[in-house]
Amino acid sequence: MSRRSPYEFEGPAPEAPVWWTSLDDYATQQDTSPSARADLAAEMPEGAWDFSDPVSRRGFMTLMGAAVSLATLQGCRRPVDKILPYARTPEDVTVNVTSFYATVIDRRGDAVGLLVESHEGRPTKVEGNPDHTGSHGKTDLLAQASVLDLYDPDRSRQPTLQGATKTYADFEGALREALTGHTSNGGTGLHVLVQPSISPTFVRLREAVKARFPNARFHTWEAASASNARAGARLAFGQAVVPVVDFARARVTVSIDSDFLQTDPGVVRNTRSWAEGRRVRSPADEPSRLYVVESNYSNTGGNADHRLRLPSREIEAYLKALAARLVSEHHIDLGDVAAAVRGAQAPSGVDAKWVNVVAADLAAHRGASALVAGTRQPAPVHALVHALNQGLGNAGQTVKYAPVADANEADDHAAEVKSLSDALNANQVQTLLVLGGNPVYDAPGGRALSDKIAAVAFSAHLSMHADETSEKCKWHVPRAHWLETWGDAQSLDGVVAIQQPLIQPLFSGRSDIEVLGLLSDAPSYRGYELVRETFRTQNAGNGFERAWRRALNVGIATSAVSPVGPGLRGAEIIRSLSGRNAGAPLSKTNLEVVFAVDAKMYDGRHANNSWLQELPDPVTKITWDNAAMFSPKTAEELGIRGGDMVRLTKGNRSLEIAAWVLPGHADNSVTLPLGWGRTRAGRVGNGHGFDVNPLRTVEAPWFEDGFSATSMGTRYPISQTQDHHRMEGRPIAIETTVAQYREQPNFAERMSPTPRTLPLWRAPNAYEGHKWGMTIDLNSCTGCNACVVACQSENNIPVVGKEQVGRGREMHWLRVDRYFVSPRGQGDADERATSDPAMAVQPLGCVHCENAPCENVCPVAATVHSTEGLNEMAYNRCIGTRYCANNCPYKVRRFNYLNWHNDGVYQPLDGDMPEIVRMAMNPNVTVRFRGVMEKCTYCVQRIQGRKIEAKRENRELRDGEITTACAQACPADAITFGDLNLRGSRVSELARTDRRYKLLGEIGTQPRTTYLARIRNPNPEMQG
Amino acid sequence: MSNDGPIQDIGEKHLVVPGTTFRKITEAVSRVTENPAPRGWWIMFLAAVSFTGVLGLAIGYLFFRGVGVWGNNSPVGWAWDITNFVWWVGIGHAGTLISAVLFLFRQKWRTSINRFAEAMTIFAVICALLFPGIHVGRVWHAYYMFPIPNSMSIWPNFKSPLLWDVFAVGTYFTVSTLFWFVGLIPDLATLRDRSVNSVRRMVYGFLSLGWRSSNRHWQNYERAYMILAALSTPLVLSVHSVVSFDFATSVEPGWHTTIFPPYFVAGAIFSGFAMVMTLMLVARVVFKMNDLVTMTHVELMNKIILATGTIVGYAYAMEFFIAWYSGNEYERYVFLNRAFGPYAWAYWTMISCNVISPQLYWFKRLRTNIPLSFVISIFVNIGMWFERFVIIVTSLHRDFIPSSWGYFHPTPVDIAIYMGSLGLFFTLFLLFIRWVPMIAMAELKSVLPEASAHHHAHDDHDHHHAQPAKAE
Repeated sequence: MSRRSPYEFEGPAPEAPVWWTSLDDYATQQDTSPSARADLAAEMPEGAWDFSDPVSRRGFMTLMGAAVSLATLQGCRRPVDKILPYARTPEDVTVNVTSFYATVIDRRGDAVGLLVESHEGRPTKVEGNPDHTGSHGKTDLLAQASVLDLYDPDRSRQPTLQGATKTYADFEGALREALTGHTSNGGTGLHVLVQPSISPTFVRLREAVKARFPNARFHTWEAASASNARAGARLAFGQAVVPVVDFARARVTVSIDSDFLQTDPGVVRNTRSWAEGRRVRSPADEPSRLYVVESNYSNTGGNADHRLRLPSREIEAYLKALAARLVSEHHIDLGDVAAAVRGAQAPSGVDAKWVNVVAADLAAHRGASALVAGTRQPAPVHALVHALNQGLGNAGQTVKYAPVADANEADDHAAEVKSLSDALNANQVQTLLVLGGNPVYDAPGGRALSDKIAAVAFSAHLSMHADETSEKCKWHVPRAHWLETWGDAQSLDGVVAIQQPLIQPLFSGRSDIEVLGLLSDAPSYRGYELVRETFRTQNAGNGFERAWRRALNVGIATSAVSPVGPGLRGAEIIRSLSGRNAGAPLSKTNLEVVFAVDAKMYDGRHANNSWLQELPDPVTKITWDNAAMFSPKTAEELGIRGGDMVRLTKGNRSLEIAAWVLPGHADNSVTLPLGWGRTRAGRVGNGHGFDVNPLRTVEAPWFEDGFSATSMGTRYPISQTQDHHRMEGRPIAIETTVAQYREQPNFAERMSPTPRTLPLWRAPNAYEGHKWGMTIDLNSCTGCNACVVACQSENNIPVVGKEQVGRGREMHWLRVDRYFVSPRGQGDADERATSDPAMAVQPLGCVHCENAPCENVCPVAATVHSTEGLNEMAYNRCIGTRYCANNCPYKVRRFNYLNWHNDGVYQPLDGDMPEIVRMAMNPNVTVRFRGVMEKCTYCVQRIQGRKIEAKRENRELRDGEITTACAQACPADAITFGDLNLRGSRVSELARTDRRYKLLGEIGTQPRTTYLARIRNPNPEMQG
Repeated sequence: MSNDGPIQDIGEKHLVVPGTTFRKITEAVSRVTENPAPRGWWIMFLAAVSFTGVLGLAIGYLFFRGVGVWGNNSPVGWAWDITNFVWWVGIGHAGTLISAVLFLFRQKWRTSINRFAEAMTIFAVICALLFPGIHVGRVWHAYYMFPIPNSMSIWPNFKSPLLWDVFAVGTYFTVSTLFWFVGLIPDLATLRDRSVNSVRRMVYGFLSLGWRSSNRHWQNYERAYMILAALSTPLVLSVHSVVSFDFATSVEPGWHTTIFPPYFVAGAIFSGFAMVMTLMLVARVVFKMNDLVTMTHVELMNKIILATGTIVGYAYAMEFFIAWYSGNEYERYVFLNRAFGPYAWAYWTMISCNVISPQLYWFKRLRTNIPLSFVISIFVNIGMWFERFVIIVTSLHRDFIPSSWGYFHPTPVDIAIYMGSLGLFFTLFLLFIRWVPMIAMAELKSVLPEASAHHHAHDDHDHHHAQPAKAE
């Protein structure tokens, strides 16, 4: 306003009436002396006039105009959500500075130490704890995904009694009342169904409960139970020990139906050491060799150098034949056990090489080989494997035995279910507590149990969701997520770590140990006290507090226990092995059904986790469903196509399920993945896939023959992220054998060369500062998909749902491509490329081309190159022409066709993404709206974060300081990220190794991601 | 109009039925805009408007939900949207070719159909321009494509062929509209002069910009028309060349092809002539214009359809040859996949419609057969739509990395928007027929024998003491 010409103050005309506002004003106006005028001018300087006049016309118009336009603008905005800043900042919390806390997760009997990222008290991302032997800084896909379970909007929020909302105090009162009846009878009629646990506190409290109620019965059940391994060890050694295989030292490994790289216990540990044993730095290195015998095509089978597909039922016979050969030809000392296998023949149809050559290879690597039995195989197979490992001198070398965390756990979980159901049938159960688990859904005969459970006088179910079992129990009590509660866990090699909560229970849930504490009448049953109490017994003495704090800080409480060297009990093994006959030969009318632990759903507990639902199965690439796996030959014989509904029948049991044809699956065998078809999992998990548990029995929990399959003539839509499985002879996931690699170490780059043409113009970027790059070692990658979930968690990648995946709109920035290839290196023409193929996997995200096709074609310059070589996306600039995605040869760009965060999987109940799910978001990464293209950024938020840190500390960035979410998660250490300009950095070294190649290098895109080709180590004697 | 002599002198046929007079032309053309619309017009108009309504609804839904209401996916980021865009742009080409190029080459037979064709161009380009606008994910930011000074100080990316498209098609639309309007002025003045009610007089009077048919007006008019024709002519080549750059400059096998610019231009002319033929034959029947749009026109147009159809067929063959000859496995695969892969049905539809059906026109009897011409023009329209679909979708659906291969399924919204764009086109076209002289009267008169300065020297016609063709 000061720019306006000033108002001239003229003073009142003498005859004008005097208008005054105060007596002072009146006096001033009457005084016309020059001094008074000067005073007045000083009082009302130029321009101030506007303000002195409350209703100046121009001022009014200006203000009104501004007000109207601002009000209009306001109307265009989205409603304002108010945030509440910390009035008093909690100690140790700096807003926007992430903190990490050490904790631990139980992953199928192994503890994986973790560091969990917390934003202002909100855990968002799980990373491995480098100091923990079960992790070494790495994680697996379920650990990565489990953070989303914490923010599951469908978790139950308060205890209920037959559907009516109660408080936790009500439950405690009711339980105490129920227990009073048992104090007098020593716990007769008190049954507790628990899941196998590796928590020392759990074991301690269970023993305390048993001491208080000597007649109480504990039943242990888990659908993905590994009790066969336990029973096998008991058979072989007379004690429950667990084998820990050092795959890095085992030059030859034979997997007996074991999926040790994806679903069997110790995945992180196994993957790490297996990848170490496979590592090839130069042609002089010899990768280890892996033979896999299995029925389903597992991820481990995909990593095999030789794979024998055999129905699970016949694997025992194969193993016996192998043992017989080792004894007869190679004079392996099996002691008494030799008698049990003498003269054993391999199942018909198995190439004699699979016995003779494998035996010779094992015998040639005494003390440096390993046999691994899968949890699916019965105890005698485990026992025989133990005997063979002893005989081959592997025990104590490559296979070490550690005491189990819970020595008193039952050895046969199926029998435990049976005993519970017997007790229920006999009406002997007055009080039933189900701590975790979901037996009505997943126990053999669970449906039959359900009515019995409903009849029990006092029944309570502790679980995260009001699920199938909760429905039948009187009480339902919310169970706390592992990130919410105190606990502890002992890893396979005996390292105990404290499970430290990162957040108060969101829905006032309780943990198993807290309920056990209540049962045991412990002085305090707060988880914190219970865990400390256990820790106190382990660390007696006055250094307790220091040790406790150290354990919390570092994430490990005790170091590994020394392995034990148990003696074999040959007679037991002989007894168990004898008299086991395979039944009638398998055929299309006598099919074997095999139950498999699902890589994503596990036993069904992760059904409501949308990341896992949408994650393609590592082998089949199916999302949002499971299906019955048939081999191509069996499917053809039965007249089944992939996607047909089939009915599997045996006696009065039958199951309707979609069929899928999986190349490389064993003939006459059908694999049924567990954990699907939940009906009360929540709005994400309900109704996806097929519940196969009704076919499972206590007698044969893992595989059973005698089934027939008939096509029902209807189709079921299955959504896959990849439906073409051949590489079409293109140099994409490049691999070769050791022999050919030695002949021509740079074979990969020759197959996928980068053209050496002179550029038309000078490159705009010289990349003199940082030059970010990545290497992906296909030789280490097992295809486990942990990286995909890690990327999803880190980068707020939306989930789109089954129908949209079927349309080809999944959003994963990083995907793991899986191809089936000829096992003999003969290309797609080989007939075994479909019947019995090898598998090739390739993680593929944006490769950050230096000469990026996407950048040229964007009309609005929304995707541009940074001076550090990142191909960047400016979401705010993107208008969504999708031209960049069309022009991307790698097809790694993902488009928000709809507003996935709102129109996504939670839609049926909420119009918007539930508030609580938003808590899982990484605040450092923009959440993308519809109509915007997105893709891998090399985790630019991490790069910037560390750069700022280094700058603040006034130092150079160190190698390895910045790592992407995928690289950090990768248990095989296949992904390396860093600065290519930094001398001696790991990534720059790896990018120069002879196995390097640039994917589709011939287009001239000059990707920053370098692939290192895979080297297979086939046994030359197996060829032909 | 310059007039180089009676057409019989240079061995051509009459371009209008002998006996046609200036008055007859004026009557025939003007009465369409003056008399009540025939029933057929109303039926077609209501149908077309309904489809336009569907278009509006479908676009509204599209804006409300997002591009996901279409079937586009990854890897097929473009499908019907850009197919429709290229198809409509291509259709537009015939108009410019007929009006500008044939004008410069003094092909006088164009006069009966050029107005028509030009109108078609403009309406087709309107339909075409719809698609780049609505296919983006965030329509409310579509203006980022224009070089508007802004507070973010960001310009569009001038390296992007999509931006070239914006300029090329924008220029094309502007020049075509100007060219069309300038050509209309004398005829609008005729309508003004015939007006019997004040509204018509006002509107046509305004639009005819004070045309008095003076010598000076004619001189300026003809110069302007010539200049605009000269400006339009390179656009015939440039617009579709630039559109083809969207594909040709990419790295996708099946797109990355140097043959695309001429191939696209030939295809555009091909499809445009087919669309002109379709419309012309309908108008000829509905408005009984047999005297003005003669069999000669039909035959000449069919010859061009034959010629361009054959060029397009050659281009298809050459693409295959080059794919084989290049030795590039990705390129080879894409072409084999087109012909024998999951989209073989689309490919062979295209070949049948575009390459095989025009070959019938080698026979004079067939190319002068009106029903057959209509049928083949429809075939060509269909075939050319499939050509764009084949190029866009079959290239994208299986490119370099087999793991990403997919298939495109259209949704009802895809179909609604395509049908709706046809509705919009016909709505505009029917309005044009109803309110604007659909045949360039002034130009057509110039090809009458009476228009010749030497008319009386060869006095074998009626004695019309006519002025050179001018508005009456």
